[in-house]
Amino acid sequence: VTDVKRLGKRGSYRLGRLRAQGIADLAPPSPYRPSFVRPQHRGPASGWLLAAACGAAVMAGGAVIGWWFVPFGVGVLAGVANWVGGWRARVMVTALTFMAIIGWGVPLWWPAWHGEPAGATARVIAALLGLPAYAFVTFALTLLIAIAQALVGLWLGRALTPRPRRG
Amino acid sequence: VLPERRRSTQAQRVVNVVLATVVSAVLLIVLGAGYRTLPALGPALDPGRGAWTSASGGTLPRSQTLRLAGLARPARVSFTSQGIASISAASDSDAYLALGYVQARFRLGQMDLERRLGEGRLAQLAGPDAVASDEFELRLGLLRTARQEWADTPRSSPAGQALIAYARGVNDYLATERASRQWPALFSLPGVYPANWTPVDSLVIQGVLTQELDFTTTPLDYALLERSLGARTTMAWFPLRAPGPQSPYDPGPYRNLGIAPIVTTGAMTTATTAARTTATTTTAPRTTAPRTTAPRTTASTTTATRTTATVTQGRVAGRAAVTPGQLVSENGGLPRAAAAILAQVSALPAGQVHEYPDSNAWAANGPAVAGGGALLAGDPHLPQTLPSIWFQVALSAPGLAVSGVSTPGLPGILIGHNSAIAWSLTDTQNQSTMFYDEKTSNARPGGYFWRGQWRRMRRVRYTIDVRGEAARQLTVDLTVHGPVMTTAGQTVSVDWMGAVPSPDLAVLLRINTASDFAQFSTALASWRAPTENFVYADRRGNIAAVSAGYFPLVRHGDPWLPMPGTGADDVAGVIPYAAVPHVYDPRDHVLATANQRPVADSYPYYIGTSANDFDPGYRAATEYAYLRRHTSMTAPAFAALQASVSDDLARQIVPRLLTALRGARLTPVQQQAVTVLRGWNYSMEPQSAGASIWSTFWSDYVSAVFQPWWAARRVPVRRDRDGLAVGTGQYSLDEVLAAWTRDDQGNPAFSPPGGARRDAAVVMRAAFGTAISRLRSKPGGAPASWSWGKLHSRRFQSLTGAAALEYGPYPSGGDAWTVDAAYGGAVSGAGPSWRMIVGWTGSGRAAGEAIYPGGQSENPASPWYANLFGDWRSGRYLPMPVAGRVAGGGAGSVAGGGGGAGGAGAVVGAVAGGGSGGGGADVSWELRP
Repeated sequence: VTDVKRLGKRGSYRLGRLRAQGIADLAPPSPYRPSFVRPQHRGPASGWLLAAACGAAVMAGGAVIGWWFVPFGVGVLAGVANWVGGWRARVMVTALTFMAIIGWGVPLWWPAWHGEPAGATARVIAALLGLPAYAFVTFALTLLIAIAQALVGLWLGRALTPRPRRG
Repeated sequence: VLPERRRSTQAQRVVNVVLATVVSAVLLIVLGAGYRTLPALGPALDPGRGAWTSASGGTLPRSQTLRLAGLARPARVSFTSQGIASISAASDSDAYLALGYVQARFRLGQMDLERRLGEGRLAQLAGPDAVASDEFELRLGLLRTARQEWADTPRSSPAGQALIAYARGVNDYLATERASRQWPALFSLPGVYPANWTPVDSLVIQGVLTQELDFTTTPLDYALLERSLGARTTMAWFPLRAPGPQSPYDPGPYRNLGIAPIVTTGAMTTATTAARTTATTTTAPRTTAPRTTAPRTTASTTTATRTTATVTQGRVAGRAAVTPGQLVSENGGLPRAAAAILAQVSALPAGQVHEYPDSNAWAANGPAVAGGGALLAGDPHLPQTLPSIWFQVALSAPGLAVSGVSTPGLPGILIGHNSAIAWSLTDTQNQSTMFYDEKTSNARPGGYFWRGQWRRMRRVRYTIDVRGEAARQLTVDLTVHGPVMTTAGQTVSVDWMGAVPSPDLAVLLRINTASDFAQFSTALASWRAPTENFVYADRRGNIAAVSAGYFPLVRHGDPWLPMPGTGADDVAGVIPYAAVPHVYDPRDHVLATANQRPVADSYPYYIGTSANDFDPGYRAATEYAYLRRHTSMTAPAFAALQASVSDDLARQIVPRLLTALRGARLTPVQQQAVTVLRGWNYSMEPQSAGASIWSTFWSDYVSAVFQPWWAARRVPVRRDRDGLAVGTGQYSLDEVLAAWTRDDQGNPAFSPPGGARRDAAVVMRAAFGTAISRLRSKPGGAPASWSWGKLHSRRFQSLTGAAALEYGPYPSGGDAWTVDAAYGGAVSGAGPSWRMIVGWTGSGRAAGEAIYPGGQSENPASPWYANLFGDWRSGRYLPMPVAGRVAGGGAGSVAGGGGGAGGAGAVVGAVAGGGSGGGGADVSWELRP
C-alpha cells in the first residue's frame, strides 16, 4: 500500500510482503478438484450403487423380453429418486450412462459369449441400415439408443420433481 | 423482488418440464415407430429381441430332433460340411414339407422378397422407392396368374400336394421364428414380418422367374428405332434373322403343323394332346379368359394354315416401301406410350426383365463319351446375386430320388438328375411379349374396340401399402390382350405368354421322376412359359434337347412391333408341341444350346428377331467346335469347356483387323499393341493384354460405325439405355457388323450420314487408334501390361441392395461371347449361376458334380453365406449328394482336363472323385411329426 508506485515493476512480486501489518495470511489457492459426491446426498453410497446395479439389471431384463423402452423408465425413476438422493446432475448422468451401457451391453455380449456371430451380425445390420458397415457402428448406435433414453428419462424425472432436498 | 424471482424460477421449471416432456415423447415415438423410412430403432436394435437376434441364424445347424406339424412320418435332413442338404422322407409330401422348412431356415428373406416383388407388396417392406415396381407387377399380373394357376390345380394332384406340403413346411419354420422372435435382420429392422406362406406365393415366385426369363420390351424399342432410323434401316440392322452362322441345335428338317391353340387353364395338358406326334390343331377355344371379359377363341385353327413366318416374310417385303416415319403418322402417341412403359420397367430391381442370353447346356453320347454312355453339362447364366437364385438339395422318398438345384419358394428340382435321367435348361429367347395399341374413344371411357365391337375393359383395383407413407391406390384395366400398361399417348396393353397359366410345377415334378425320354417329353408338352431349351441325357446313353413352351404366333401384323389391338393382329395360337425345335440322339453325338437361335432359316415359324437376345451363336460355335473335336470325353473335358473364355467373335474379327492395320502408319504404342494382338490366342483370360485390346477395339468399332447414325437420327437412347444405346448388349449390331466386316466391307453403313465415304478398313483403323488412346489412359503403361483383369471385374450384388454385403468386384476373365460368360460390361453382374456335370457309367449309375457361386445361407454372418466362391472361382466342383445316400468327398478339381481316352471308370472317377475338405454328413436333423 505504501509503495504503490512499484506495482508492475521489477521485484513487485514482493509487494505482498509489504502488506499492512496485522492482516492475516490468506491460505494459498488450491487446485480445483471436481467432486462427484454431493456431501449433502442422503443414504449410504453403497445403497445407491446397489440401486444403480438393479437399474442396469432391469434394463437388461427389459431388453430380453423386448421392452426396449425400459432405459427411459429407469431414467425417469432415477430422476424422481434423486429428489430424495440429492445427487449432483453430473453424477446422475454418469451413473445412468453406465447403467445403460451395462444394461444393454450384457444382452449384446451374451450371444457372442455363446458362439453366435455378433460382430458379423453387427456389420450386417449396419449395412442394411445404410451405415458404414463396421461392427462398432452398430454396437455404438445400439448403446446410444439406450443411453439417450436413460438420459432423457432422467431429465424428465428431474423436471417433474422439486429441487433435491439438501442436508 | 423475491416474488418476481420466484415467478421466474417457476416459469423456468414449467419450460423445463414442457421441454423434457416433448423431447421424451419425440424420442420415444421416433424410436418406437420410426419416421418415414427410418425404421423404429428402439425395437429394431433391442439387444434381446431386435435385429441382433438374427445372429442365431448365422450359426451353423447342429444335429437335433425337430417336431414339425403336418409331417406324416419321420424324415431326415443331413448337411454336408459345405451346407448341401439331403432330405429323406417316407413320402413325397413329407419330402416337400421338409424342403419348405429347410429353405425357409436358410432363405426366408429371399423367399419373402421374391413373393413381395411378384405380388406388388415390396413397398410395404422397402418403402416408397419400391412403389413403381409394385405398380408394374400388379399391372402385369403375376398375382392374377398365380391365383388362376392355383385355382386350376387339383388339390389331390402331385403338384397340389407338393404345394400344400411345401407351404406347410415353410409355415412350420415361420411358427418357430414367431415363437423365438429370432427373425432375420431384413425383417426385424423395418419391423415388417412375413405372413404365412401359401401355394399362391410359390406360384408367384414361379411367375417372377418367368418374367426374368421371358418378359421383354423389344417391340417398344423397335417402335422407337423405326421412328428414328426408319423401317428399312431398322430391319437391316436389327433383322429378323441375323447374318452369320448361328449353330442351331435343331438343323431340321422341320414340319409345318399349323397353329395350336393356347390353353389358358393351369392344368396339365392331357396325354393325348401332349404326345409329340399329335398335331394339336384342334378347334379348342381358349377355354377360360382370365384376362378379359370378352371371349377369346382360336376357332380358326382347324387346319394347318399359312404360318406366321410366311406372313411375316411378306410383311417385311412390303415394309420396304414404307417410308420412314410412317409409323409416327399411324401411331402418333406411341413414342410417349413406349417411353412410359420403358420408364416403368427401368424402375424395377435389376434383372427383373429379360436382358441377356442365359446359359449353356450341352450333352454328348456314344463315341463322344468315355465308355459310350451319356454326359450332360449345364450352367445357367443369370444375375449373379447373394444369396444365389439356387438352393442345392437332394430329395429322397419312395419313387423319388433326385438331386440338383431348387428355387427358394418352389418345391421340386429345376435342374439336376435322378437315377435315370439328367437335365438342364437354357432360355430359348423367343419372342413371348406382344404389345397392342388399343383403339379407345373419349366418348366411351373404359371401353376399347375389338373385333368390330366396343367392349368394356375389366377393371381391377389394388391397394399398395407403403412403409412410412400412406397407401396408394392402383387401378388396372384389362383388355382381351392383357393388362393396359399405359394410357400415356396411347392405350397400350401387353399380351405376354408368362400371363398364361402354366403348370410348370406339375411338369417339373414329372421330370423329377421321369425315367426315359418319352416320360420327359410328354411332361414337357404342358410347359408353357418361360420357353426353355431342356437338354437331356439318360442312363441308356440317349441325349436330346426340346424347346418347350409357347411360341406365340400371329396371322397378321409385325409382332416385333406394337400391333393394332382391333383383333386382326391378335395372337392366334402357338407352335404345336410336335413342331417346336427339338433333337434326339443327333448323328454327331453332341448337342449344345447356348441361347442361339435353335433352328435354321428354313424353320417355318416365326420365333423372334435378332433383337430378342438370341445369342449370336459365338458361344454355341465354340461349344460345337470343342465337342466335335473331342472323343471319349469325361467330366474334366466338360469342365474345361465350362471354364472356357475363348471369344469366337475375336477369332473372326482380329485377323481382319490385323489385315486392315497392315501398312497403316502406327505409333510405337500401336505397333506394340499389334504385336500383342498377333500373339493373342483369343482367350479372355484376366491376365491377357490381347483381351483388353480386342474388347476395347470392338466397343469403339461398334460405336464408330453406328454412333454417327444414332446421333444424326436422334435415336431416343435415354428412353431405354439397355435396348437402344449403341454398345455392349446390342447383339444385333454386333452380328451385322461382324457380317459386314467378314463379307461386305464396303457396306454404306460404314460411311456416316453426310460424311465422307469410308469402308470397314478405314473405320477399323480409326477405332483401333481410339482404343489404344483409351487404353493408354486406363490402365496405362505399356500394351503388354494391359491385362483384361484391370478393365473387367465380376461382382455379386446382395439381394438387399446393401453394397457391403456384396462379393467382389474382383478381376475376372470372360465376356459376353465366352462360354464362361460375363454380362454387363466392365463390372459384370450376370454369368454362370450353377455348373453341373452328370454322367453315366456302364453300370447305369448316375454321378454328378456341381458348384454354384455363393452359399446355402442368405445370412451374411453365416459361414455358409459365401463359402462356395472359392471352389467356383477355381473351377472345382462338389459331388452332388445323391438322394438316399450322402455324397462323400470334398471339392475335387476337374478343370483343365482334356478329352483324353478313358473308360467308364474314368467318368465315374472324375465326377465322384473326392478332394480335400470332406463333404460327408456332418449334421443331421431328425424330423418328427
